[in-house]
Amino acid sequence: MAIDRRRPKPSRRSHFVIRETLLLLFLLLICAPSPSSSSSSSSSSMHNNNWAVLVCTSRFWFNYRHMANTLSLYRTVKRLGIPDERIILMLADDMACNARNTYPAQVFNNENHQLNLYGDNVEVDYRGYEVTVENFLRVLTGRHDSAVPRSKRLLSDEGSHILLYMTGHGGDEFLKFQDSEELQSHDLADVVKQMKEKNRFKELLIMVDTCQAATLFSQLNSPGVLAIGSSMKGENSYSHHLDSDIGVSVVDRFTFYTLTFFEKLNMYSNASLNSLFASYNPTLLMSTAYYRTDLYERPLNEDRSCSSYEWLKVLQDRLADEKSDTIVMYGLGTMILLLTVSTWLST
Amino acid sequence: MGARGVVGRVGLHRLHMGGGDGGTARTVKSGVHHRTAQISKPVQLRTALGSDFVGKERECKTNSLETDSPSSALSDRRPTTPGKKRLLLTLSVLLSFLAGLPFLLKSTEIYRSPLPYASLSSLPRSDPPSVPCRFHALFLRPADPDLADRLALSISDELRRRRRRSADHPFGCCGGDFAVSVTVDSRGSCVGSGAAPACLWSCGAVDPAEFAGRDDEAVDELLDSALNGGRGECSGTICCGGGGGGTVYSVVVVQGEEGDERQARVVVGKHRHAWMVGRIDEEDAVSMIGKIFAKYFMNGGVENGGGKEEFMPVGSDGSVVLSFSLLNADPNDWVYDWEFQKIGENMLAPVAEALAPIANISIESQVLYHTPKSSNSLWDDKLDSWILSIGDLPFFVNSNEWHLDTSISATGRSKVLQFVVYVPSARECPLYLQLPDGKASKTNAFISPMWGGVVVWNPPQCSSDSQKMHTARNRISAQDLQKILEVFVGQLRLLFGVNSSHKESGISKFIASEKGFTEWELDVLYRHHACSNILSCLTTLESLSNLVQSLPRMIVTDEIGKQVKLSLEAAYLAQRNASLGINDASAESSTKARALAEDAFFHPSIMSISYSSIEHYFAIYMPFFAPVCLHVLLAAIKEVKRYRRERAKYLAFLAAQAGSS
Repeated sequence: MAIDRRRPKPSRRSHFVIRETLLLLFLLLICAPSPSSSSSSSSSSMHNNNWAVLVCTSRFWFNYRHMANTLSLYRTVKRLGIPDERIILMLADDMACNARNTYPAQVFNNENHQLNLYGDNVEVDYRGYEVTVENFLRVLTGRHDSAVPRSKRLLSDEGSHILLYMTGHGGDEFLKFQDSEELQSHDLADVVKQMKEKNRFKELLIMVDTCQAATLFSQLNSPGVLAIGSSMKGENSYSHHLDSDIGVSVVDRFTFYTLTFFEKLNMYSNASLNSLFASYNPTLLMSTAYYRTDLYERPLNEDRSCSSYEWLKVLQDRLADEKSDTIVMYGLGTMILLLTVSTWLST
Repeated sequence: MGARGVVGRVGLHRLHMGGGDGGTARTVKSGVHHRTAQISKPVQLRTALGSDFVGKERECKTNSLETDSPSSALSDRRPTTPGKKRLLLTLSVLLSFLAGLPFLLKSTEIYRSPLPYASLSSLPRSDPPSVPCRFHALFLRPADPDLADRLALSISDELRRRRRRSADHPFGCCGGDFAVSVTVDSRGSCVGSGAAPACLWSCGAVDPAEFAGRDDEAVDELLDSALNGGRGECSGTICCGGGGGGTVYSVVVVQGEEGDERQARVVVGKHRHAWMVGRIDEEDAVSMIGKIFAKYFMNGGVENGGGKEEFMPVGSDGSVVLSFSLLNADPNDWVYDWEFQKIGENMLAPVAEALAPIANISIESQVLYHTPKSSNSLWDDKLDSWILSIGDLPFFVNSNEWHLDTSISATGRSKVLQFVVYVPSARECPLYLQLPDGKASKTNAFISPMWGGVVVWNPPQCSSDSQKMHTARNRISAQDLQKILEVFVGQLRLLFGVNSSHKESGISKFIASEKGFTEWELDVLYRHHACSNILSCLTTLESLSNLVQSLPRMIVTDEIGKQVKLSLEAAYLAQRNASLGINDASAESSTKARALAEDAFFHPSIMSISYSSIEHYFAIYMPFFAPVCLHVLLAAIKEVKRYRRERAKYLAFLAAQAGSS
C-alpha cells in the first residue's frame, strides 16, 4: 500500500516532465522552420528585360475570339516595346486561313474591322498541335530537348518581368487545352514554384481570360507573382460582341477592356497596375475581375479595400518572423498553465 | 446426353408451335424442366460451390445403406478421410498468386537512379572557400633593424581594419587568411619581417635608380621578372610565384631621389604588383599599401565585394557567344563593311583566352542593313550634331528591325552578348550621346547589363560636305575598327563587372593589359566566379533533389544520376583548388560543376505531368486483380473451411467407433 502510494507521485512528476518536453519539442519543430523559410528577396536583382508568353488554348472556328484576344494582346505588347525575340506566342492558328473565314488571312477583334491583327510581322512560336500542356510547361520551366531552337525558349533570367496571358475555355481549377487536355491549378502552381527556384523571373504577371479564371490561381504561393483573372468561381466570362459579318464573336469582354486601357498608353508612358484594376467595371464585364496581390511585394499604391483578403493578410503579418516568437511564447505559457492546472485537478 | 436430347426436342417443338399457345408451351417446358431436373441433377452437382451437394448426396446414399439411427448424429460423421484434391488445387492457385506478387511489383517499379542525397546535404554552402592570399611589401630604402617587422605589423593592422569596416561583404573570397610579409632591401642587404620566406625576393635584383629612367610599362616588366624570378621554388610549405600555394601580391615602395619634392607616384601594374616612387612617409605608405591590397587586389576596385548577379553573363552551360554586328541604318546613304575576321579576331583572341577558365567564348560577326533605331534624336547647336540623351537610350535598340539574334552557334542555354556598331543615316549624322552634364560622350557608346553594348560610329563622310553620291561600298578603316574594338573590350569588362573608372585619389595610373584584363583583375574575376558558381551549383543540386524526392514515381534516368555525380566531383575539386589558391583551375572546375548541375536540373525528362501517381497505378491494375484475387481468396477460404469440417466429422466418426468398439 505504501509502495503504491509512493509510486504514482514520482511517475506523475516524471510524466509531467516528459509531456512538457515533448510539447516543447513539438512547438519548436513547428515553429522553427517558419523563421528560416524566408525566401530570397527578389529585390536584389535589377530589372533588365521584359518577356511575354501568350497562349491561346482553343482551336476551331467558333473559338475565333480566343485567337483574336491573343493576337490583340500580342500586338499591344509589341507596340509597347517587347520585341519578337522576347515573346513566345502559342496559337492553334487555324482561323486566318480557315475555309469559313470570309476575310481570308485577316483576323479582326472588332466588328468595325479597323485593325487586321494578322497582317504585319506576326511570329508564332508554337502553332497548331504543338500547343500542348507539355510544351507549355516546358516553355515555362525551360526543360527542352537540346534540339529546340532559341526562339522557342523562354530565356529569361533573374531580372526579367514576365507577362503570362492565357485565354480559352476553363473551369474550376482547370484550363482546357486544345479540346483534348487540361492544365490544372496545381500544375501551374508547381511550375511557377520551380521557375522561382531557378530564378527565372523577378516578377510574374498572370492574366487569364476564361470562365472561373480565379480558381486557376488558388494554389499559387511563390513570391513576386501577380495574378489577374477575368471571373470568380462560379462565374462565366462572356464575349463582347458578335460580328455578324464573320459570324462569330470576335473578342472577349475582359480582354476588350484591358485593350482599351492599353490603347491609351505608348512606349514612354508609365501607368501603374492599380489604374488597370480600377478600369475594370464589373457591370460591363458581366463578371468580377479578380486579382491576387498577396504574393506581390511591391506596393501598388492602392488602399487595400479588397476586404476578402484582409484577414488573410493580417494573419500572414501575425505569423511573420518578428511576431512568431511572441505567439510561441504565449502558446507555450498557456500550455504550461493548462498542464499544471490539469495535473493539480487530477490529483 | 439424354438431357440434351430432351431439351433439343423441346426447342423443336416450340418452333413448330410458333408461340401460339403460351399455356401449353409452359406446361411442356415445366414438364421438360422437371424431367431435366431429375436427370441432370448429377451434372449440376459438379460446380465448385456445389461440393456440399456431392457430400450430401453421398451421405444420402450412405444414409440409405446404413441401418441404424436417427439423422442428427449421422450428419457429423464420415467414415472416410475428406478429399484433399480440391483443397490443394485452390491453395496452389492462391500460393501462385502470392508468389507472383513480388515479380509484379518488381516489374512495375519505377527506375530511379540513386542520387547522392547524403553528400548533397553535407556540403557546406554558407562559407565561401577561403583562398589564401599573401601580401608582400618591398621597401627599397635604407633599413633599420626592426623596420621590416614594424611595417609588417602596421600593414596587417591596416588590412584588418579595412576588413572590419566592410564586414558585410567578405573580401571577395580572399577572406579567410592572408599573410603579410615585408622585405626591406637596402642596396644589397635584405631584411625580412618575421614570416617572409626568402624566395619572395632575391636581394638586389632591382636597383632603385632604374625606376627613374624608364617608363611605366618597362618598369612593370622589370618588376615582374624580378618578383616572379623565384617561380616554382618552394621553401617548406610556402611556394613562391603565382602558381601554387596562393597568389602573392606585391607593392614595391621606392625611396625617391634626394631633393625630389614631387608627390609620390603610385602605379598599379598589369601583373600582380604595384609600386610607388617618390617622397612618401611611412604612415602614408602603409595606408596606401593597405588600400591597394584591400580595395584593388582583393576586391577588384569596388567598395563592396558582394556578388552582383547581373554582372555574370555566363550561360548555364558555361559558354558565352559574343555577337558583333555592324548596322547600316540607311543603305541609301552609305554602306559600310568591316574586316572583322582579320582585325577583330586578332584583338579579341587574347581576351577570349584570358576569360577561358570562366567561360567558353565564341565570337561571330555579321553586317546588317536597313536597321533604323527607334528613338528620335534632337539637334544641338552647341555640339553641332544630333544628340541622344540618357533618357532615349532604353529605346535605342529597335528589336523589331534589328534581327540580332541569328546566332547559329548559340545553343539553347548559352548566353549571347550583342555588340553593335551603329552607323547612322545621313539625316542624323553626326550622332552623339550626351552625358547628363551636357558634354558629349568620348566613346559614344553605352551598355545594357546582360544584353551587350552599342557603339555609335559616325562615318567620316558625315562631317564633310555630302555632295558626292556614295554608292560604293565603304570599309571602316583599320584604325577606326581598332578603336571601336577597344571600346568593345572596355564594354566587355563592364559587362563582367570589372570596374574601369578608378577615380580614386592617390593612384596615378593603372596599366592596361593587351588581354583586356590585368592579372589581378582576372584573379578577382576567377575567385568571384568560382565562389558563385559553386554556390549556384549546390543550390541547383539541392533543388533537384527536393524535386526528385517530391515526385516519388518519377523516373530518374542514369544520365541525371551521372551528371549529379560529376557535378559534385567538380564542385569538390573547385573548392579544393580554391583553398589551395589555384584560381584558374578552380574557376574552370566550378564552371563545369555549374554546367553539369544545370544540365541535370533542366533534363527534359523531369516533367511532373508525365508521371503516373499511385492512384494511376492502382487504376491500371485493380480492375483485373481485385475480382480475381477476391474469387481466389474466397475459394481458398471455403475449401479450407469445408476440409476442416469434414475432417472434424471424420475424427468424430473415428472417436465414435473407438468408443463403440
